[in-house]
Order: sequence, then C-alpha cells, then structure tokens
Amino acid sequence: MNKYTELFATESRDYLMAMEHALLQLEADPQAREPVDELFRSVHTLKGMSGVMGYTSVTALSHAMESLLARVRSGDEALGGETIDTLFEASDALAQAVDVATTGTPSALDVSGLVARLTGPVPDGRPAPLAPAVAVLPGIPVRIHLEPDAPLPGARARIVVDKLASIGTVHGTSPAADALWADGFDGRFVVFLDTHEDAGTIAELARSAGYVQDVRVSAAPARGLPREATTADAAWSTGNLKAPLQRYVRIELRRLDQLMNLVGELVTVRGRLQTLAAAHGDSALDDIVGKASRLVGELQDGVLGSRMVPVWQVFDRFPRVVRDAARLVGKDVTLLLEGREIELDRTLLEQVADPLVHLLRNAVDHGIEPAARRVAAGKPPVGRLKLVARRERSAVAIVVTDDGGGVDRARILAKARDLGWVSQEAEDLSDDDILRVISRPGFSTAEQVSEVSGRGVGIDAVLAKVRAMGGTVVFSTAAGQGTVFELRLPVTLAIIPAIIARVGAEAYALPLTHITETVQPAAGTLRRVRGRPVFILRDQVVPLHTLRGIVGLPPRDAEGQQIVMVEVTDRRAAIAVDRLDGQQDIVVKAFDGVKGSSAYTGAAILPDGSSALILDVGGLLQEH
Amino acid sequence: MRTAVSHSVLICDDAIFMRTMLGDILSQAGFDIVGEAETGAQAVEKYRELRPDLVTMDIVMPDMGGIDAVREITQGDPAARVLMCSAMGQQALVVEAIQAGAKDFVVKPFQPSRVLEAVQRVLG
Repeated sequence: MNKYTELFATESRDYLMAMEHALLQLEADPQAREPVDELFRSVHTLKGMSGVMGYTSVTALSHAMESLLARVRSGDEALGGETIDTLFEASDALAQAVDVATTGTPSALDVSGLVARLTGPVPDGRPAPLAPAVAVLPGIPVRIHLEPDAPLPGARARIVVDKLASIGTVHGTSPAADALWADGFDGRFVVFLDTHEDAGTIAELARSAGYVQDVRVSAAPARGLPREATTADAAWSTGNLKAPLQRYVRIELRRLDQLMNLVGELVTVRGRLQTLAAAHGDSALDDIVGKASRLVGELQDGVLGSRMVPVWQVFDRFPRVVRDAARLVGKDVTLLLEGREIELDRTLLEQVADPLVHLLRNAVDHGIEPAARRVAAGKPPVGRLKLVARRERSAVAIVVTDDGGGVDRARILAKARDLGWVSQEAEDLSDDDILRVISRPGFSTAEQVSEVSGRGVGIDAVLAKVRAMGGTVVFSTAAGQGTVFELRLPVTLAIIPAIIARVGAEAYALPLTHITETVQPAAGTLRRVRGRPVFILRDQVVPLHTLRGIVGLPPRDAEGQQIVMVEVTDRRAAIAVDRLDGQQDIVVKAFDGVKGSSAYTGAAILPDGSSALILDVGGLLQEH
Repeated sequence: MRTAVSHSVLICDDAIFMRTMLGDILSQAGFDIVGEAETGAQAVEKYRELRPDLVTMDIVMPDMGGIDAVREITQGDPAARVLMCSAMGQQALVVEAIQAGAKDFVVKPFQPSRVLEAVQRVLG
C-alpha cells in the first residue's frame, strides 16, 4: 500500500464513522440539521479525496450522496425514513467502495443502481448525469501558512491568491476558494499556480501579502492532497462547515509498537542493571541506577499512555450494530453508551470489540423480549441495552446490561442435566454456574440458529478472548429483569507486574492482578479432602494446585514449597511452587504458541535474559 | 520609515475620532495628510482632485459605502492604492473590497505598528 493510499484508507474510515454517527442521529430525529451538515461535510471531503486518488466508485457514490444531501439542505427534498435508509445503504456501499479501492481488490463494484436512487429521477425519467469528478488540479502547489494572529485570515488569503495570480494562472485552491474567503481553514491553504517564475519569486510575492508565516513551493505537482476545484463547490459557502481545529497528530501504528518494544527491552535491561548494581554495593552506582530506573519508569508510563485510546473509538460503532441486529429480528432496541471517554490500550480495545459485538447481538436476540411480551410484563415496549465503561484501579470494567427477561434458569438446568454437565440431583444453578454452563463450547439453548447471533460462536469464544487478554468475566441474571455481563480488563497489555515462580530450572510469571498473597505453608496445612489436595489458610479450605502439575512436570515432595494465593472474582485457589523469585514488571510478548493451550496467556523476557511463560490464572480458576 | 519623499494620504472615515487617530498615526510616521472625506462620494471626489499616493477607506460610510468608492476610484485610476479599514467580523465585505481593487486592509481597533506595516505593503 503506498503512503497516500494508506493515508486515504485511515482518514476515510474516520469520515465513514462520522457519517454513521450522523445517520443514527438523523434516524432518531429526522428534523435535526446538524447531522445533515456533518454528513455533507464528510461526504464532500471523501469526494475530494477520492477524486485525487482516482477512485471512481467512491467519487461517484459520494457525489451522489452529496447531491441528495444538498437537496435536503436546500429544502428541496424531505428527509423521511426511506431516504435515511437509502443513505445508510449508501454509506455501507461507500465503505465497501473505499475498501475495494484501497486494498486493490480486483472485483469491480457496481454502484450505478445506488447512485441512480440517490440522485433521483430527473424530468425526462433518466437519472441525473454525474457531474465530473473533482479534477486533479494542474499547477504547482504553493502551500501557505498564515500567522496565527492574522486578522480576517480569509481576506488575507484573498490577497495572497490575488498576488500570485499576478504572475501566472491560479487553477484553484484547497480548501476551495469559497471556504477560504469565509475563514473555513486553519491558517493553512494551498494555491495551485501555473507560472514561469521560480520558487523564490513565488515565495517572496506570497510573503508580500502580509501575515504569511511560511510558504512552501513544491517542485512538481503533488498527488494525494485533498483538493477541490474552486468553482465546483459553491455548496461550501452555505451553512457552517468549518472543520474543527486539529488537536491530534496521526502516528503510524507500527511506530508506536516499535517504541513499545524498545521500552519493553529497556525495562528488561533495567532489571538486569538493578541486579548487577545490587551485587556491587557501590552507593554512587546505586544512586545513578536508581535515577535511571525512575526515568525508565516515567518513559514507560509515557509510552503506555500514548497507546491509550478512548473506548468510543470502538463503542461508537455499536449503535449501528444494535440497530441492524434489532431490525433483523423485528425488535425495537436502544443502546445507551456511558463512559465513552474511558481509555484503554489500543490493542486491548481492538481485541475486545468482537466479544462486545457478540454480547450485544446476543442481548438483542435472546435477552430482549418481543415488544408484546415486554408490555405484558409491564415494561416499556422498546428494549434497552446499556454499554458502560468504568475505570477501576488498575482495571477497566466494560459492562453490557440488558433489561430483558433474564436467563431461563430452569431451562439451562435441564439442558445441563441432559448433557451430564451437572449431577441429576442439582436443584439450582448460581450465576457463576450458569456462566460456566453456557460458556461450554457447543452449548446453545436457541431452538433455531438465528442470523443475528450467528452459529458456532458462543459465550465460550467471548470468555476465551477476554481471558486471553488477562481479563475476567462476571455474569449475573435476574428473571424478568435482565442480564449483565461485566468484562474486567487490564488497562494495558504490554507491561504488567507479576510474581516470578520457579519449578526446577524453569520460571513462570503469575500476573499480580490475580494474586492476593504469598504464604509459607505451616506444617499440616497441606492436606487432602475427599481425595483432592487442599490448603488450609486461616481455617479456610482452598483448592490446591501445584505449578508442577499445571505445567506438566513430575511432582516433588512438599518440602520448602511456597504457596501463591490467587483470586478471580469470588473464586480462590492456592498454587504450590518450588520457589518464588519476587515481583517484577514483565514485558508481555505476543506468543502464538498459546493458541489452543489454556495454561498460558503469553511469554515474557526476564531481567536475566531468560524467558518465562505467563500463567493464565483466570483460566485455571474457571476450569477448576 | 521612508520619509525622504513624504507620501500623500487621503483619509476616508465618517467618524472624526477615527480620522483623527489615523491621521496622528500616519503624520507621526512622516506621511502628509492631504485630505479627509466623510462619505464615499466625497472620497471619490477628493481622490480625483488630490491624486494622493494612498487612501485609507472605511467600509461602512453614509451615502456611498467604502466598497463602491473603491470600485469608482480604481476604475478611474487602476494604480490607486487603497487600504481598507474594517472592524472584526466584516470578512465578507473586506473580501469584496479586495475584489473591487483594494490592496490591503487593517482591522480596528488600530495598532499603529500594524497600520504602518499595511501602509508599507501597499506602497511597497
């Protein structure tokens, strides 16, 4: 993918997202004008960008959408449900067209039908002809940056353009002239100029207009800039289309990951340095190592912080997901988002998107009852879903709540008995039991597999994914009142505090989030109850695992063993290890080998350069 | 500041206060204030009579507005150097005035240095 394609792909995604958001707002209130403006602005920009790139399908579609929106803005066309549906369809097609264009998929996309519907019939019955796509402007791009305190920058731009026009032909500007004169820019604009004068003369002339901070004259016409012809875009002059000022910069993901990896290695080296310095006993060395360590810590915080993104970047897709799912099953469901601004490591956020989509669709399909049943139960006919993000100490909780009928305990119990997953005598299931039953691979109480929830991907996949991220799932359900799934995720994935445990020569990392304490077992506290090993801690009987057993090493006598107490939600367990090596920040490395194996979530490099597997404590307790 | 050859200036503004202030700024910088006008029509008339090196032109004036005056002045003398004096928020009018032939603009409230910079740009 070349640089411009990539830029186009990323940026167009933002616009498509904004469009979807605006469409959902419009659907709720077709009279609202702000979403129409927002749509218009996004579609217009996409049109301009795609024109430069030569993506004809994207240009044709966005142009058709733009003309429909222009008719809406001028009052020539009313915005009814049907039109909004067409716009939804068009924005989907637009996303597809962008995809096809940027990935270079050979399949041609036929958008003519949609374009005709958007453009509407003209008097003679034929669809209105497409206006020519935005031209790639000829001429040299002269990039002007006005001083931030320039009064009436639009008028100043006009003087600049007039000055440049005196030595050649101005083919157009970006933003388009109408927007430029109306201050519709952030102090930067581009003039496309044909002239025989050299760059120095051009720059000097542009500066003579006053309040010009910087002038850059490109040697050759550059491609890839969104430009619009000055004349073709009269629509810019109507309404308030001024784009908000830029407060963020775009960084290539690869660079952030690179930085993260470097900091990870630095943290590892810091550990080694600390170990070496401690062995030396030189106070000056200790001092400087301490300082360096603190700085590395701050650097780590900074880099981790730069990876944090607000959850709305994913959450904002969900109203559409819920809307579509609800339509498919003929229900009316609203989704309320809370805590959109809560931040999460971007990798985690990306990974949690699929599980959340699954939970939301599940809630629409199975959780929310049909309107008639809701009314009969004294509930409002419209189902309510809530998606809440909350920061809790070192974790982020993401909670999906529905106000539906709740899980049918009796039915789950019957099914679980049939499958032999619980004893025939079992009378009742706790919330935890229910989660365990419904998260068994292959479990489904739905009589028919619906299109909404899909086939084969169940709660088990959700749980597996969340656990692989080092998170946990808490579940509760109440008959007639609804169901709650609470996902608890670490805030960052990359560097986590852990306790290093050893069996024989091998080291394993246990994430500190799950550890409550470490204990030297007193005599007689390691026992067997009904044939199972247990650990007695302060008169409480806790199931006992051995790290050797978990990792598949032969057992050893209990002599000198230490106990790590772990807790996930309300489940506790004790893990016996040969030796504890203390607490460390470990750098989690992607580890493909963990797929299919439930014992580990990843691998880490330790300060001495050796590696350690990271134990999946959450998984261990869930399996019990 | 170039004072060797002192440039002649015509000041057009309906407010005495503004005329006085602009006059002070410019004469202190060595310019020669050759005339003042209170309306657009007066400005056009005085320009023909005085042929000043520079005109400062308020945008909103009674009878003929500043923009029409600029248009008439530059039609009679395409080399006329007119500096528009505008208030904040008059962007569209300023753009129109530039289209009509004005060379630059200053925004009220006037800062002497800003005014003189603009004058230099227009004369330079």
